[in-house]
Amino acid sequence: MTAIGAGLAMLAALGAGLGMGIATGKAAEAVARQPEASGKINAILLLGCALAESTAIYAFVVALILAAK
Amino acid sequence: MYIREMVKTGTTTTIELAVSAETFIIAFIGYCIARFRLRYKGKTKALKRNSILLLAVTIISAWFFIGTLINYMLETESGLHVEFEMFSERVSIFGFSFAKTSVLMWILTGIALVICLIFRFVIFPRFDPDKPHGIQNIVELAVEATENFTKNIVGEYSTALAPYMFSLALFMILSAISELFGCRPPTSDLTVTLAMGLITFALINYYGIKKKGIFGRIKGLAKPTPVIFPMKILSDIAVPVSLACRLFGNMIGGMIVMELLKSVLGGYAVGLPAVAGLYFNVFHPLIQTYIFIILSLTFINEAIE
Repeated sequence: MTAIGAGLAMLAALGAGLGMGIATGKAAEAVARQPEASGKINAILLLGCALAESTAIYAFVVALILAAK
Repeated sequence: MYIREMVKTGTTTTIELAVSAETFIIAFIGYCIARFRLRYKGKTKALKRNSILLLAVTIISAWFFIGTLINYMLETESGLHVEFEMFSERVSIFGFSFAKTSVLMWILTGIALVICLIFRFVIFPRFDPDKPHGIQNIVELAVEATENFTKNIVGEYSTALAPYMFSLALFMILSAISELFGCRPPTSDLTVTLAMGLITFALINYYGIKKKGIFGRIKGLAKPTPVIFPMKILSDIAVPVSLACRLFGNMIGGMIVMELLKSVLGGYAVGLPAVAGLYFNVFHPLIQTYIFIILSLTFINEAIE
């Protein structure tokens, strides 16, 4: 049962993936519109991706704690 | 806590070894003949394509042969066999029990200290402030980039924060490099990352109180409406935990992926893990270093604003 729980915990990766995809798409649009601002956009993109990724990372840590007994 | 899976175990026979060796030798001879013909019979397109194809076949069969040889000689299991511990195993030094990652962390700190002392007492006196050359350019570039980066985010406190962030980056990059030498990196230990997160937490509160005073800091937490005060406290406490879990999860995730790859390939883990390690052991830790530093600085900036 713990293995199923660990697998279910990783469902959170769905939201993180969606969020990072949307953020990257918007960043690509922004760079296409204003190529000279790509440095700033890159920094913001990395920060946003890190924050969006954190939910998946929490889920991963929870899954590890569940699975590694 | 550990995960242990054993799906199947196989043993390599002499016939497999002989077949792979023959394939390799035939492909290699074919490649040699193709090169020979390419040299003496003119460079036609078909010959070139043939030689490239034969080179690919030679490389693949060489990889297969080396893997089979390793399997045969060392009798490695070519099944899924992963052993992974959430917390590092412990060693006892002078009667005290230490985690292996802590010991590695001391070694890395010693290396960093030696590098710093060499730079301070041997390389810095040779620097020419008027005409920078060689390693001076690299050092100046790194220091200036860190200072500008820090100044852009936190402004006035960058004189104290830039050196700390630089040393943090040095430590995290050194620990990422140590993973390439087959050690378990210190940053894949939750205690180490939590310690880093707590340092960031202390810095956030220190600079927040320094800038605005204790009452100003508390007032800043109840900024838009006093209703969200408890939530702000909670989110402030979550900062070190989230920083620690992010770094820990990323490092251990990369480690597990590499372990899985190595165990699946068994004796065939020649060359391929190096390519995957470029992403999981080099690129990912560097990105995480950047993110850890930029998040720390952003939270400090939020507190002093």
